[in-house]
Amino acid sequence: MNAPSAVIRVEKLQKTYVLGFFRKKVRAVEDVSLHVERGEIFGLLGPNGAGKTTTIKCLFGLVRPTSGKAELLGMPASDIRGKRRVGYLPEAPYFYDYLTAREFLVFIGELCDLSRKKAHARAAELLERVDLKDAADMAMRRYSKGMLQRVGVAQALIHDPEVVVLDEPLSGLDPLGRKQLRELISELRAEGKTVMISSHILSDVELLADRVAILVRGRTAATGRLDALLDTRVMSTEVVFSAAEDKLEVLRGALDGLGLASEQHGETFALSFDGDDKTDAVVDVLRAHDAHVISVTPRKESLEDVVVRRAQAPSDTDDAAKDEAKAKDEPKDEAKAKDEAKDEPKDEPS
Amino acid sequence: MRKILVIALNTFREAARNKVLYSLLFFAVVVIVGSLAFGSLSVRDERRLMLDLGLGGMSIFSVVIAIFIGVNLLYKELERKTVYTLIPKPIHRFQFVLGKFAGLVLTLVLQILVMALTLFVVVKLKEEHVGKALMMMTVLVFLEVLVVTAIAVLFSSFSTPFLSGFFTAGLFLLGRSVPDLRAVAGKLGGEQPVLATLLDSISRVVPNLRYFYVSGTEVSGQHVSVSGVFVDWTYVGSAALYALLYVSLLLILAVGLFSRRDFV
Repeated sequence: MNAPSAVIRVEKLQKTYVLGFFRKKVRAVEDVSLHVERGEIFGLLGPNGAGKTTTIKCLFGLVRPTSGKAELLGMPASDIRGKRRVGYLPEAPYFYDYLTAREFLVFIGELCDLSRKKAHARAAELLERVDLKDAADMAMRRYSKGMLQRVGVAQALIHDPEVVVLDEPLSGLDPLGRKQLRELISELRAEGKTVMISSHILSDVELLADRVAILVRGRTAATGRLDALLDTRVMSTEVVFSAAEDKLEVLRGALDGLGLASEQHGETFALSFDGDDKTDAVVDVLRAHDAHVISVTPRKESLEDVVVRRAQAPSDTDDAAKDEAKAKDEPKDEAKAKDEAKDEPKDEPS
Repeated sequence: MRKILVIALNTFREAARNKVLYSLLFFAVVVIVGSLAFGSLSVRDERRLMLDLGLGGMSIFSVVIAIFIGVNLLYKELERKTVYTLIPKPIHRFQFVLGKFAGLVLTLVLQILVMALTLFVVVKLKEEHVGKALMMMTVLVFLEVLVVTAIAVLFSSFSTPFLSGFFTAGLFLLGRSVPDLRAVAGKLGGEQPVLATLLDSISRVVPNLRYFYVSGTEVSGQHVSVSGVFVDWTYVGSAALYALLYVSLLLILAVGLFSRRDFV
């Protein structure tokens, strides 16, 4: 992969867990390749069980890759020089509940080579930033899930890292908390930091990420810029309207002439059609029959649609290759790697 | 080194905020003070009974506390997923294991000091003189606890607390019975060579905890007896060396096992 400025680099990563007494083998990651450039917000997307967390765990040395590479700032996970410049928020974090948030942050700060004094100063600063100042000296066993998540973000930032990796950071937060965290992530980008966020809540990443990788069943299904991955054409249009009862029969006839049928939902009616080329004609017909147009909603392909499309057709590598070619910053050898991986036996020993 | 210390202090803080430990310590102090009363019941061997009970209480409670925290030490970090936050920090896994161990040892040192001080006061109340001997006893009790803690931590690096506790307690009992195992092996030698070899091998692999087993039977003001023989500081020094060698070996194994683990 020709990306010299990449701060996170995963190449042909594969991880097979060997679990339990019977040494049962579970493939968590089949073939994941991605790179994150300095200064960008990168989204790691995919349904549950797609291999997002395992990929991140390989980056931080929590698990060892079966094969392939996972590097932070050009260093393997075992090198603590890399970890010194990277912050990490684990999925659904849980901390020492006998500590207060302040004590915990000072503890983590000292592990990240800050002096005690500096750790105290950073802890105070971050507690304010994640809005936990009032609860800072309360034992964390009394914290809500959302509060723990915010402590988690603070501990990831304690040593002012260049790169921040957040695994499912928005889960467990209420709408206000989500908004605050999204703002914080945008601030981090403004400070020049590189951020990688994993999520299955795609709309959150959609708003933040410059580039994304979509993982499906342990493989990189697509990587690239969001606008390149998403089909920006209008897929379908939905029109909602209301009409007087005496005009209804004639109106239905006119819509029938356009090849459309409406459905009644209480007082209102709805109809939908592919694309958006009939929109003007439909609105004209409705207006001509004194109908009240409530809404016209064009539906574009969302990230959800892309993931669902990928999840349903995982073996459709040609399609994936086409999309990757479309996402221009994606090298072609990834599609090739995928084809090679396809030939591997499923129960290959680790 | 600083990171090991930071993790050790946090481990100590966890123990210091654990209410169960205070009740165990309280119970131990009650037993030691109670030895005074029991000692008074025996007319002839008052001093012996008092010291035996006091020492036994100190030793058993320290071992129980060591196993109780030791088997949970690493397992709890995995169970509560706190390890997912710590390992990605710029620390080596060996620093994590050694820090946890050091924190537990610090906890145990303080507990043993509280118990030893209680025993000292009890003995003083009876106007007995055990100054140096009591110090030797305390050091020997501590050395045994150190070895048991390292065994518990080794098991904790790969097994569940229940199994770890079971195996650690088993090894503790075997370690205390090393001379007996050898004696039985010697007697069986001719008749059942296989069993004899097995018992002999076990007695050579498990740590010989009898080196640290102090009895109050013949305590003078200066010396303390181990297996009925008076010992001095030179003996305590060599016992310390034996304990440290064993502990190092166990910790190297624990670090090796813990470093190879995938935190799924």
